[in-house]
Parts: sequence; structure tokens; C-alpha cells
Amino acid sequence: MDIAVQITLNAIIAGALYALAALGFNLVYSTTRFFDLGYGAYAAVGAYMVFWLYKGLELSLVPSILLGIIAAGVIGFLIETVVYRPLRARKASLTVFLIASLGVLTVIQAVIAIVFSSQFQTLSRNIGEIQTYTLWGGVITQTQVLILAAGLLIMTVLGFTLRYTMFGKAVRAVADDSEVATIVGINSNRIIGIIFFVSSMIAGLAGIAVGFDTGIQPTMGLALLLKGVIAAIIGGLGNVYGGVLGAFLLAAIENAGAWQFAGEWKDAIAFAILILFLLYRPQGLWPK
Amino acid sequence: MEYLIHIAILVCIYGILGISLNLAVGEAGLLSVMHAVFYGIGAYVAALLMLNAEVNFFIALLLAVVASGFVAFIAGAIFSHLKDVYYVFATLGFNVIAFSVFLNWDDVTRGPLGIPGIPRPELFGFSFFDNLPFLILSAALLYLVYLVSTYITSSSFGRVLNAIREDEEMISVFGYRTSSYKLAILVISGALAGVAGALFASYITFIDPSSFSVNESIFILAIIILGGLGSTRGALLGALILIALPEALRFIGFPSDVAAQMRQVVYGLLLILLMLYRPQGMLGKFRM
Repeated sequence: MDIAVQITLNAIIAGALYALAALGFNLVYSTTRFFDLGYGAYAAVGAYMVFWLYKGLELSLVPSILLGIIAAGVIGFLIETVVYRPLRARKASLTVFLIASLGVLTVIQAVIAIVFSSQFQTLSRNIGEIQTYTLWGGVITQTQVLILAAGLLIMTVLGFTLRYTMFGKAVRAVADDSEVATIVGINSNRIIGIIFFVSSMIAGLAGIAVGFDTGIQPTMGLALLLKGVIAAIIGGLGNVYGGVLGAFLLAAIENAGAWQFAGEWKDAIAFAILILFLLYRPQGLWPK
Repeated sequence: MEYLIHIAILVCIYGILGISLNLAVGEAGLLSVMHAVFYGIGAYVAALLMLNAEVNFFIALLLAVVASGFVAFIAGAIFSHLKDVYYVFATLGFNVIAFSVFLNWDDVTRGPLGIPGIPRPELFGFSFFDNLPFLILSAALLYLVYLVSTYITSSSFGRVLNAIREDEEMISVFGYRTSSYKLAILVISGALAGVAGALFASYITFIDPSSFSVNESIFILAIIILGGLGSTRGALLGALILIALPEALRFIGFPSDVAAQMRQVVYGLLLILLMLYRPQGMLGKFRM
């Protein structure tokens, strides 16, 4: 019985991490219609910024995390301006975007590895002192509770902003047709820039959360991104709430599968689900 | 000298990988991120046959080619009707799953421990144990693959593939069953990757799953994007540059782990710059 509770808890935590990844990714995808693999790198930037500030310079926790999130946002914004905006102006194909973003991911990951080494490292200072709670026989850490809360909060704020504010309307207009949006006086490039800034901040937060939950590695972003993509596809690409539901569903299946077979097949299970969805239900469970 | 021979052998192996991937990606427009799977299947099948059944290298090579082609047939049959980004993610997922199998099917692949002691080729008492004869063998196989590739690209079959790449709907209106063509070229592409796999296993005399991960697939893709999609010679040129480059970096005086990351930085930057300024690559004909 305890095992069942623990697996449910694990699934919820993993789901919250994937949900963060899916949220930011969905935001970019629904406005620009391309798959930004660089998204994984922004997550790593956030996590390593915190690593440098919090463990290297010994800043206190909250400013480190805030600066880490902002650093991720700034990197995302810069990449958008320098790489993706010229491509958009040239109306490059999706393949070109995909390969350029692959380049972005590769470069940022390698630079991080050169500066911080490619070793696996932890973000927490005092691993022994992390507060844990016992819930119906399962264990959950304080970090994990915070991750869960952050995920739900961002989902709500994002959903609300996109639906009810002028900014949200502008975003949806750009997503529908950026040229027409420009004609009616919306600055598409500015909107997309902001979207990149916000979604990269979410990516940074997701990276930091992973860092505190397990640890950091320059290549951590790609794994996180791919889970976010799978979650977004399961939930229906571009649907904010769908992505979150997809994330929890993916985490549940993964953890149940890992329990039934063995932990090392987790990734294979996740990607098998992805392939099944691509083949039989590419529009996802809750299409937009 | 011995060192130059080593580099030349690697260029041959990656040249075969590049040329074979170009058939699928460059000629037929199938943006596959799973080439390392067929490479890996070739390597494992050849290694296991030579070690456990004491099969001669050249027979093991043939069987490895058949096995790689068979796996490519399965993958192609499942994925051939997926489009664009969906195809990319499905093939990437397939690579992740295959990698999990290499890593976790301990009874056969010995998992992360890898398979040591793979013999060098022998033919009628003549041994390719030294690197120079091995280079000659590799170059001969590369030339063979090159001939197959140029034969395909100059045939009517190749022209139909090009047409599929440019406009699949149009060519299917003319009565061509495009899915059969795509399946056929993927099988050929996968089978030729098996040649590289068998060569690699016998040359290094040791294989483990890390050589056949998604990153390897991405690296091979970078080779042909750099060289230019749709160009057999471009694939060779790309392999030459991306293999020789890190060695040059080592001579400049970077320590080897930094040199490895520098290679990633350079090839990531190359991808970004190519997409911004020359999306068809160095010798490419296909403008993405």
C-alpha cells in the first residue's frame, strides 16, 4: 500500500515538473508554430545561474532563484532576437527553424559544460536538512511541494492572462496570423519577444526545480524539454490546460510502468507513448 | 602517421553514415533523427556474430546489413505517413527506445559494460589487424557505398525521391505510391548504416550503448546539413570537416575534454550560421 502511495506522489511531482516544461513550450509553440529545441537550454541556463549564485557566490536562496529565472528569460529573448527573428523575416521553413534551434541547444549546452564541467552536481546546500513530510505513508520533500504549487500557480496566471487581458488577445491574434495582426497595429515582433522572455523564464524555473529536486547537468534541458513536448502533444499542442493534464498523465503512466517493469525503462515508455499518440491521435486528447 | 590513419578511418566510417543518411534526408526529405539506431544494430549484430558464433567479418557484415535494413523496414513501415515535425519526434523517440534496449537488455548487449574484444577482419588468411590495411578496407567500403548512392541518385528511382521531397502530393497525383518509395529508401539508408556499424565495432574492438544515442544521430545529421542536403559529395565533405575539426582543436592546445565541448560549440554555431545565411549547406542542392 505504501508503495502505491509513494508512486502516486512521485507521479504528481514528476507531473508538476513536466507541466512547467509543457507550459512554457506550449506558449512558444502556440504563438510561433515552431518547435524550439533551444528551450531545453534555457532551462539549463536558469539552473546553472542559481548554481553559480547560490553555491558559488553564496547568495541567499530567493534572490538566486529570481536572478536565475531572469537570466533564462534574457537568454531566450536574445536568442529570439538574434536567431529566430531574421529567420522569421525570411519566412524560413519549419525544418530550418528546427535545425537552427538544435544549434542553439548544442552551443549553450557546450558552453555551460566548458564553464561548469559536464559533471552531475546538486543545487541544494545542505542535503540532509531538507524538510520532508509524510503523507499517507509516502514521503514528499518541501522542494517538491513548492514545485507543485509553482506549477499550478503559473498555469492559472497564464491561462487567465491569455484569456482575459489585452495582451492575451494580442498574443492570440499573432498566433492566428502574425501578418494580419501587424496590419491591425499589433507589433508582432514585440509580442513574440515578450512570449519568448516569459516562456524562457518558465523554462528556467523548471530547470531550477529539477536542480533542487535531483541535480543539474549541462544536458538536463533536452530531457526536460522532450518530456514537456510529449506532455504537450498528449494534451493537444497549444492548449495550456491540456499540456498540464498531459504532463500528469505522462508522469502517471511512466511511474506506473516503472513500477511494473523496471525504472530504467521509464524513457522508453515515455517515448513509446509519444509514438502511439503521433500515430493514432496526433491532435492530442484535448485539441484546441 | 598512425594518428592520421586513425582519423582517416573515422572519416570513412562517418562518410558512410553521412552518405547513407543523405539518401533518406537529403534525397527523399525524410528528416530522420534515428540513424544511430541502424548504425548501432549493425555494430551489435556484427560484434555478437563474430564473438559468439565466430563468424567471419565479411559474413557478419552482410548479416549486420540485413539486420539494420530489417529494423529500418519496421521503423519505416510505422512512421512513413507521419509529416514534418511529427516525423522528427517519432524517429527521435525510436532512437531513445532503441538506446534503452541497447542499455538495458543486459543478457545480449551486456548493457553499459559494453562488448569488448571484438576481432579485426580476416579474409583467406590475410588479417586486417593493422590500421593501414583496415583503412584500405574502410575506404573500399566507403567507395562501394558512394557508388550505390550515386547510382540511386542518378536513377529514375532517385528522381521520384527528389519529387517526393519537393512536393509529395503532386507526385502522388501522378500515380506513384510515395509511401513505398519512402520505405524503400529508408531500408537502403538503414542497411548502409549497418556497414558503418560493423566497421566501427571491428575497428574500435569495443562497443557500448553510448555510441548510438540520439546525440550521435544528431551529429550525423549535422554532418550532412553542413555538407549540404541532397549531395553525396557534400556528405563526405561534412564528415571530413566535422571529424578533423576537433583534432585540429586539440592541436591548438585545448585539453581533450574542453576540445570535445569546443567541437560541440563549433558545430552548433555552424548549424545556426548555415540556417541564417546558407540553409542549403556547402554543396547542397536542396533548399529547405
